[in-house]
Amino acid sequence: MKSAIEIRDLTKSYGDVRALDGVDLDVPEGSFFGLLGPNGAGKTTFINILVGLVRKSGGEARVFGHDVEADYREARDCIGLAPQEFNVDRFFPIREVLEHKAGYHGISQADAKERADEVLKRVGIHDKRDTRFDWLSGGMKRRFMLARALITDPDLLILDEPTAGVDVQLRHELWETITDLNDRGTTILLTTHYIEEAERLCDEVAILDSGRVLEVASPDELMDRGTDDIVVQLRDPPTAVPDFAADDDRVDAVELDGSRLVVTAQQGGLVAPDVVQALDRDAHEIVDLEISRTSLEEVFVEMTRQDEGRATMEVEQ
Amino acid sequence: MSLTSLDVTGFYALLRREVLRFVRRPRNTFVPPFITNVLYFSVFGVILGERIDQIAGVPYILFILPGLIVLGAVSNAFENASFSIFHGRWNRYIEEALTSPLSYTSMVGAYVLSSATRGILVGVLVALIGVFFTSVGVAQPFYLVAFMLVITLLFAGLGVIGGLWADDFDDLTMMNQFILRPLVFFGGVFYSLNEIPEAFRQASLLNPMIYMVNGVRYGFLGVTEVDPNLSLGVLSALTFVVVAVNVALFRRGYGLTD
Repeated sequence: MKSAIEIRDLTKSYGDVRALDGVDLDVPEGSFFGLLGPNGAGKTTFINILVGLVRKSGGEARVFGHDVEADYREARDCIGLAPQEFNVDRFFPIREVLEHKAGYHGISQADAKERADEVLKRVGIHDKRDTRFDWLSGGMKRRFMLARALITDPDLLILDEPTAGVDVQLRHELWETITDLNDRGTTILLTTHYIEEAERLCDEVAILDSGRVLEVASPDELMDRGTDDIVVQLRDPPTAVPDFAADDDRVDAVELDGSRLVVTAQQGGLVAPDVVQALDRDAHEIVDLEISRTSLEEVFVEMTRQDEGRATMEVEQ
Repeated sequence: MSLTSLDVTGFYALLRREVLRFVRRPRNTFVPPFITNVLYFSVFGVILGERIDQIAGVPYILFILPGLIVLGAVSNAFENASFSIFHGRWNRYIEEALTSPLSYTSMVGAYVLSSATRGILVGVLVALIGVFFTSVGVAQPFYLVAFMLVITLLFAGLGVIGGLWADDFDDLTMMNQFILRPLVFFGGVFYSLNEIPEAFRQASLLNPMIYMVNGVRYGFLGVTEVDPNLSLGVLSALTFVVVAVNVALFRRGYGLTD
């Protein structure tokens, strides 16, 4: 599959600080790709290099095959950006702001007017078309950021924390709009703090920390690497803790709290039948069973914590 | 769509945006120079002018009229470009253009041309106020148009540099008050070069404003204290250099990118 974004050994330094430290990444065309990382991981720097707001210190960055510096015009024409910070022209009503943005992308005035109405309707703020950005509510401002990114009908839509600070209902509406675009072939690059968002929307995620890519995988693959809890409620408390770990490498720990047994294991869904069988064999009556899957958030926290530990060790050495 | 046609449409869109920005705010853009120049003509032209002999063979009010036009035109061209770029950087909405496929030349072209347009409009406004106070003709229309175009483009280009360089609004005020205004006031707007001591006269010739004021004065009155062709040539070359610097700064991302 062709890449919408190709990154090779990308670096960005601010004095002694390495904001990006040799990033390699491929975002497949048509995919819904998530970029996760703690604050200061380099996500926004990465995005800003693609759109020309930050100049890279080294390496290569291409958008649909166009180098972001040598072929900056072609690269930028493919991209629609909804940045985290509001950067909207405050002098004009929002419909005109959209018309101007479309014009910068070579769209004629007549087409720009039509498109502006269309995207404002799509994000549900068409009735505010003659209002200036400053007078919109917080949620409407977020909707407008998406509308502005869509006005040029981009092949690559970059959303930097698109649902930051919005209520649950609006978040779901925005998800629906974005998913619909992705279904129609638009490549989406999403950064988010809401792990649920990445888990729910993304085909693939990259975990970025301290300017480095720690992992690229699907949310399911990542979650499979974490441990699940198999929580079994027994009729009567057993006299001893059953030793499941001895027979199964996937089992990490077994804890007994009265009649409640918690088995912590990788791939909990596959381990659970063995646990049930073993308990049956020992004549324990099971009242309830629940598998609590590890969340992407837990995997993410674990991975970034490990990376932090590695970095500390490197410094100490 | 080819990049060329994209650039033409994109350039026009940014130019239109920039012109609409000042046209829709006459209280900020046209009313202040209107009031200031009514005061200048009333005080310097009528009240003081009646007590001053002719200068270079013309009444004082007529002598200062071209200078006031230059003052209004260049300061507005400079202010428009520097404010628009700095305000866009400050509020980050300049990123709407920066992240677009517009070429750097088109971006600079739109900022410079729109700011020069504001300068010329203010120049026309000052001329109309002048006509209310005194009768004036145009002796050299070609030179008048050429000088007005060149000086407004030049100061718009300088305004672009100022807008990229400024770190806060105080820097914009500082440029206007401590650089632009002294240049203008020592640029022969209100006095003749022939009436100041030789040392000051020689020093004044280093001030580019002298050539601009005399060029526009030549256009209106047909009188000048410096060679208009030489002035036009030097100012045109300077304008070309400044606009080329603008494009280079945009390409480097000076003041625009991290």
